[in-house]
Amino acid sequence: MKYPEKNHSNGFHNRKEIKFPYNTNSDWRNYLKIQLNEINEKSLEIDCHKWFLSCSDIQELKIILESRGHKLNFIRSQLPETVVSAFNVSLRAELTIEESQQDQKDPLQSVEIKKDNSHYPLFHQGTLRSGDRLESEGDLFVFGDVNPGAMVSAKGSIMIWGRLLGIAHAGKAGNSKAKISALQLIPLQLRIAEKIARGPEEKPLSGMAEQAEIKEGRIVINPLQTSEVITSI
Amino acid sequence: MAKETRVILICSGKGGVGKTTLTANLGIALARQGKKTAVLDADFGLRNLDLLLGLENRIVYTAQEVLEESCRLDQALVKHKQEANLSLLPAGNPRMLDWLKPEDMKKIVEMVSELFDFVLIDCPAGVEDGFKNAVAASKEAIVVTNPEVSAVRDADRVIGLLNSNGIKPIQLVLNRVRPKMMASQEMLSVDDVTDILALPLLGLVLEDEQVIVSTNRGEPLTLSGSNSPAARCYSNIVLRLQGEEVPLIDPSKEGSSIGDKFRRLMQTKIF
Repeated sequence: MKYPEKNHSNGFHNRKEIKFPYNTNSDWRNYLKIQLNEINEKSLEIDCHKWFLSCSDIQELKIILESRGHKLNFIRSQLPETVVSAFNVSLRAELTIEESQQDQKDPLQSVEIKKDNSHYPLFHQGTLRSGDRLESEGDLFVFGDVNPGAMVSAKGSIMIWGRLLGIAHAGKAGNSKAKISALQLIPLQLRIAEKIARGPEEKPLSGMAEQAEIKEGRIVINPLQTSEVITSI
Repeated sequence: MAKETRVILICSGKGGVGKTTLTANLGIALARQGKKTAVLDADFGLRNLDLLLGLENRIVYTAQEVLEESCRLDQALVKHKQEANLSLLPAGNPRMLDWLKPEDMKKIVEMVSELFDFVLIDCPAGVEDGFKNAVAASKEAIVVTNPEVSAVRDADRVIGLLNSNGIKPIQLVLNRVRPKMMASQEMLSVDDVTDILALPLLGLVLEDEQVIVSTNRGEPLTLSGSNSPAARCYSNIVLRLQGEEVPLIDPSKEGSSIGDKFRRLMQTKIF
C-alpha cells in the first residue's frame, strides 16, 4: 500500500484507445465525452467497430477530441465506408474484422475473408495506368482511377473511389457474391468469379456511383446503394 | 556546377506521334533563345533526328566512340550549321544494337550536362531496352501523344513506368491536334486525353502540313522563325518549359467555321 494512487490509475488513465458504444443506436458523442473524463493520454486511437461515420461525423469526432486537448491519431472500423471517410479527412485508418462476428448468418458476406483473417483488404492510393496490375487476397479498395489497360483483381469485392476504365475481376477464386463498385463504372471488361462481361457501350451519367454483381447468372450493373456496399464486404 | 542542367526525356510509347519532330523543334527554339542545348538521339537503332536537323552528313563519331575513348566528346558533338547553340549527339550506330547499357547512357549524359543548359533526349518508341536506357539518364520528361486511343493508351503505360522510375516532373504535349475534328467530336478532345493521363499539359501542337515540308527539308519549323500554326505552338511550349505563363491555344477557336461553332452549341449538354 505504498503507492495507492498509482495502483488505482493503472490501465485506466493511460489508455490510448477508446471503443465506441456497442449499441450503434446510442449517442456516441455523449458516450465519448464521458470516456474522455477518465483519459489522460494525448494521442488517441478510436475503434468505431460497426459504426458508420461520415466525413462530417469524423470531423466532429476530431473537434470533440481536440476541445479536450487530445489528438485523433488512428481510426479502426469494421466498415470500409468509415475507413474511406477517415481517409477523406486525411486520417490514418484501418479496416478490421471482428473474430466473434465470424460465424454470423449474413449470407452476403464473402467466404474467403470470413474464414481467413490473414486476408486483409488491400488499399491502394493513386492512379493505376495501362499495364499495371493489382491483386488482393481479400477485398480491394482503390483510391484513384483504374485506367484502360490496367487490371485489378481480388478474391473479395472491389471498390474504386474513382473511375473504373480498365478490367476488374472480383471473386477471382470463385466467390460469386463478390461485387465491383466504382464512382464511375465504364470498364473494358468486368469479371466476377467465372462470369465475364464486356463493359457498357454507352457512357453512364457522371456523378452516379454504380455497382456490378451477379444476378440470375449474369453480371448486372445498378446504381450503387450505400447499404449494399456494407453488406458485400 | 553553378547551374542545374535540365535533362529532359521526350518519349511517347507509340511510334510516329512526333517525338523526334518535337525534339528537333524544341532544340532549335531553345537554342534561338540563347540556351546552350544538346539533343541526344537515343533512338540509335532507327535514328533520324540527324535527318530532321539536316545534319546527317556531318556525323563522324557517336557517343559509343566517346565511351570507348576513341574520340573526345567535342568531336562527337555535331554543331548545327545555323544555330551554334545547338549540338546533336547520336547515341550510336544503327549497326550496333546491343552495346548500350543504362550506365553508359547515364555516363554520357553526365558528360554532356557539363557543357549545356538543356539536354533533350529523343527516346525510341516502345518500352524495352532503348526506353530503359533513356529513362536511366533523365531527370524530367515530356510525354508526347496524339488524340488517338492507341497513342493515349501507350502514353499511359509510359507515364506509369516513368513514375516508378522517379522521373519528375512529367508533362504532356498533345500533338497533331485538328481543331475541326475536335470541334465536331470526331476526335478525342483535349479533356478526354488529360482526363485519362492526369498530367499537366505543357502544350498543344496543331496539325500542320508545314511540319512535313520542313521535315523533308531537314530544317525544323522553328529554325526559320516561321509563323505557321505548329511553329507558334512549339515556341509556346519552349516558353512554358522555362516557367513562363503562356495561355494554351483553344482548339475550338482555331480555324473553326461558324457552322462548327453552331454544331458544337447544339451538342453542348445543358445539365
